[in-house]
Amino acid sequence: MTPAATPQSIPPPVVQVRDMDFCYGASQALFDINLKVEYHRVTALIGPSGCGKSTLLRCINRMNDRVPSARVTKGEVLVKGKNIHDGDVDLTQLRKQVGMVFQKSNPFPKSIYENVAYGLRIHGEKNKSVLDEAVERSLSHAALWEELKDRLHANALALSGGQQQRLCIARAIATVPDVLLMDEPCSALDPISTLKIEELMHQLAREFTVVIVTHNMQQAVRVSDYTAFLHLGKLVEFAPTEELFTNPREKLTDSYLRGTFS
Amino acid sequence: MNPAPTNENPFAGDSSGIQQRETAARWGLRVGSYIVVIITLAIMLHIFVKGAPVVFQSKWPFVNTQFLTELPATLHVIEDQEGTRIETDVNGADAVKKKLGDNFRSEKTISYSGGGILGPIVGTALLVIVSVGVALFLGVACAIYLSEYAKHGKFLEMVRLAILNLAGVPSVVFGLFGLGAFVLTAPTFVDVPADRSVFSIPLGFTTLSFEGWDTCVLSGGFTLAFVILPVIITASEQCLQAVPQGFRETSMALGATRWQTIRYSVLPFATPGILTSSILGIARAAGETAPIMFTAALAFKDKLPWQKDLPPLPADASIFAHWEQSVSRFLGIFTESVQALPYHIYTLAAKIPQNEYAERAQYGSVFVFLVLVASLAASSVLLRKHLRAKYRW
Repeated sequence: MTPAATPQSIPPPVVQVRDMDFCYGASQALFDINLKVEYHRVTALIGPSGCGKSTLLRCINRMNDRVPSARVTKGEVLVKGKNIHDGDVDLTQLRKQVGMVFQKSNPFPKSIYENVAYGLRIHGEKNKSVLDEAVERSLSHAALWEELKDRLHANALALSGGQQQRLCIARAIATVPDVLLMDEPCSALDPISTLKIEELMHQLAREFTVVIVTHNMQQAVRVSDYTAFLHLGKLVEFAPTEELFTNPREKLTDSYLRGTFS
Repeated sequence: MNPAPTNENPFAGDSSGIQQRETAARWGLRVGSYIVVIITLAIMLHIFVKGAPVVFQSKWPFVNTQFLTELPATLHVIEDQEGTRIETDVNGADAVKKKLGDNFRSEKTISYSGGGILGPIVGTALLVIVSVGVALFLGVACAIYLSEYAKHGKFLEMVRLAILNLAGVPSVVFGLFGLGAFVLTAPTFVDVPADRSVFSIPLGFTTLSFEGWDTCVLSGGFTLAFVILPVIITASEQCLQAVPQGFRETSMALGATRWQTIRYSVLPFATPGILTSSILGIARAAGETAPIMFTAALAFKDKLPWQKDLPPLPADASIFAHWEQSVSRFLGIFTESVQALPYHIYTLAAKIPQNEYAERAQYGSVFVFLVLVASLAASSVLLRKHLRAKYRW
């Protein structure tokens, strides 16, 4: 065995989905999914509407638990090597370490400061200087600090759509998660705001692992290191982004990328 | 080829009567709305014209303070030989008669129409406080459970149906329920259980006896709470549902527990609406007569709830004894039966012979009652406006 193959030099995948089936009641949404997400990489999930990419994303922090009768029926999801469906997994701790940004920017109708501090407050942080420091760090990461540092106590709803979405990113990274899940974060934004968030994603990947769902293939090319293509609940192809887009192995991927989808 | 220009109107209406039906529908709806507005205004105006002179006066302080600060009493009207009438109370009657001497012609007594209506005002205020307190606590708890915790399904639908049905139960039925449940069988701590006690559990230092709370503010308040509970539950649940699901998702995705999510991301934004629903509750609780008839209200009482004869403390009583007596005096307020405005109005209107003096007392009470309810509602609206401005999305 070469030294390069030891666990020290190749870290285990932060998220590992193994042979997973997922059902909403009687209808099966995901079939036999296998996916490995590497640390500090951006992984994009692409595919046509209704292919299950959002469902797969929400499996990683168990947000599907909120949907009655939705459950994983086969296989397992490992985050940091731990099966997240084990009985001794505390959901609040899981979600603290696997953050999420939603399609629709949804800041709370509170101040900018309170929005970012929310995650820390509910995990019991009361120290003002710790909160101040976390708010500044998170807003800087989300490229908002310079714009907003003078009006931290203004209502978050006064911000523009793009700023709101970046605020949501700041809110999600305030608890310093290992993984950041993003569910079509740019679909409701104008091209300039989209560009800003895409730039942000490269920087975020230095500290966090990003999994992004997008229906915009150019976006996947621009931001991601790996891309998974889903179709009708099946993972068709998973490869480094460049490889998948220039030289897809599967015919289905090829026709989706060409736009000649039957 | 272009069509030749003509003088005909290409957009002339046809004669199928669509326009006439449109006009008829508009006028039908308009007349209906006007009738409602006119009747409402007529009621308000009538009460204002008849009631305002009782409550207001042309001399300083422009408000009839006697009417607002005295307890109801029997009115004595004494007429002398010239036909001049003198109004007085039971204590003043003898003196007036002695002074008139041979000039005295006749004396009329009218029950409940003298004095003021402080007793009913205080009683209604206490009943509203107890009932809205109980109903808000139970109703909001129930609404949160139904909206945030309970699993969707047949059972939940049945619970909702039951709550809606509760809103349709006649108020007199609530009165009888309150009589049976709170007046006669509710549990209370006593030293020696009464004979009527349904059953009692000895606890050593005291006995938990199911012998009821008797007719008192507490019984009436709890009964009224159940009258307004369906309104508060239904409205609160709607307010909770109106808070965007995204707030809950985000909060949960940040690792909040369900209760943290409700506490910090749902309830603050539902509170303005819940307060609105409690306005409706206050107005209804203050106005109901039947539920308090058997459970709390008296036609006449010559004392306020806190005017109770407690044994005087010895001069060297400890501060603890004073404190204990104050507490028992305060708690005693809620175990007293009271007069209430709607029941007082009913008594004045239906239980005593009608004449100008009784009518004066009736309209005065009705006017004060309406002003009280309106000001309660107005203050809640202001509070809601204030909260809305703070929490808007």
